[in-house]
Amino acid sequence: MALPKQVKKNLNITPNPVQGHYPSGYNGITTPNRRRELANLITDDGTYLPKSVLHADMDRGMLDFVEDKLKTVSNGKKVNVIDRILTLQRWAELSQTWKFSTSDKNVDLPFIVVVRNPEVQYGTNPALQYTIPDRKQFHYAKVPTWDGNRKGYDIYTIPQPVPVDIIYDVKIVCNRMRELNNFNRVVLQNFTSRQAYTFIKGHYIPIVMNSIGDESKIDTEERRYYQQNYQFQLQGFLLDEEEFEVKPAISRELVMFGFDEKERQKEGKGSPKNPDKVNTKLTFGVGVNELVLNYDYKVNISALRIKNVDSYSFYINNLPHTINEVLMINPGDVLVIEVVKNTSGVATLTLQEKLIY
Amino acid sequence: MASKKIPITRISKFFSSEDFQLEQNVGMEWLHGDMHFTLVLFRVDGKLSDVDDVYGESGPEEIRYKSPVEFNAYVKIEQPKLDSYAGGLVKDLEPGNMTLGVYIKHLNELDIDVNYGDYIGYAETEDKMRYYVVTNDGRVTSDNQHTIGGYKAFYRTIICSYVSPNEFKGV
Repeated sequence: MALPKQVKKNLNITPNPVQGHYPSGYNGITTPNRRRELANLITDDGTYLPKSVLHADMDRGMLDFVEDKLKTVSNGKKVNVIDRILTLQRWAELSQTWKFSTSDKNVDLPFIVVVRNPEVQYGTNPALQYTIPDRKQFHYAKVPTWDGNRKGYDIYTIPQPVPVDIIYDVKIVCNRMRELNNFNRVVLQNFTSRQAYTFIKGHYIPIVMNSIGDESKIDTEERRYYQQNYQFQLQGFLLDEEEFEVKPAISRELVMFGFDEKERQKEGKGSPKNPDKVNTKLTFGVGVNELVLNYDYKVNISALRIKNVDSYSFYINNLPHTINEVLMINPGDVLVIEVVKNTSGVATLTLQEKLIY
Repeated sequence: MASKKIPITRISKFFSSEDFQLEQNVGMEWLHGDMHFTLVLFRVDGKLSDVDDVYGESGPEEIRYKSPVEFNAYVKIEQPKLDSYAGGLVKDLEPGNMTLGVYIKHLNELDIDVNYGDYIGYAETEDKMRYYVVTNDGRVTSDNQHTIGGYKAFYRTIICSYVSPNEFKGV
């Protein structure tokens, strides 16, 4: 019986690659599109280098996260957020809260405030912990340069960022349980997978929720209000542009030598000259009385030493020559040497050849 | 539109607005004429100050002040406090808190308000001015002590703490 058309006969059990443009997976050579996009975010509107990420930037990132992602509405009105990290400077507190303060200049409820714990600890993000010693610089970018005459490159290097953990207490102060519920719902929805991300100068920085605590003031004879504390840990890093280095790469190399003419080297101390005389020892074995030599260069020859030789004769191109002191031979000449031995054993004749230029 | 005014008629059998004015004027004449404690108020101008957009802080050169104003108040300064930094290793001896009693009418006449975080200068000697920061501007004067017989509040109690020259040293 035939199967219904809806039933698939062939199922692809191999999942599709995450990156469609790398069907066989990332090849390690070209940059994936998403990574390139992230790098562009980091260097957007600036130089080729990333921008500094320091404590104030992370604080701003946390404030933005609370403003945007933890936005809470009560009775159709947005719950006020104090958009600053409050510090010791007293008048600054008033200048940040006057928009929603009462006639006694107290902050009107409900409101949300972000309190940063002053101490910043070394980070627990395992991707950055203790992996590279000694603030070593790493290649970040190679940037072409042109000074009007020459093309070159600048090499941009940066050290490994320093991991930091910053603890924030986000407090909601309100009078109604409904406001607490709304804020709690928004927080838990954002942190269902324990962490959420804030976006700081092109970097996604994780925020982990540590705990939820209640600090409500519920006295019989005093004013009552709810105050709940949500503690978050921002697992950031410090990237300081003061530590970045820009070095010019070699654009063109010119090697120059300088000599001091006053201090010349004395003759005789240098390397020896090439010799123009060569001694050639010719050996006449037992039963051998004649040797033939072919010359490709012009030399003057003379007999220097003889051993077991009574007399010897020279023939240049079959013409006999008597050698008194020096005999000149031209290129292409054939020299035949005949010896008369004293005994029948081995005899030697040493020729001195002097090259003629 | 003018805000709605509520007539104060309490203890009217024994005390009236004229009595209140009289008592207040007598007190002010004693404080301003006889005692004559003079202080200088440095009001921070939050709008003109150059503030950090994350912390709302300003450096000493970035804070802007409105014109300093002299005013009179009853001054009480607590005993100096001996404290230390670094767990007792670095001594720190500084003046105690300063508590001011200032007539509300006097502030209104000068057209000034003392806010939390403002700075106040007090000349201890001819050549030594101490500066304090307002830690409680005493804006809430609902208690009986700040009224004359429960009729109406007539003065504010302002509490200030000493500031180091690093934070403020006059303008």
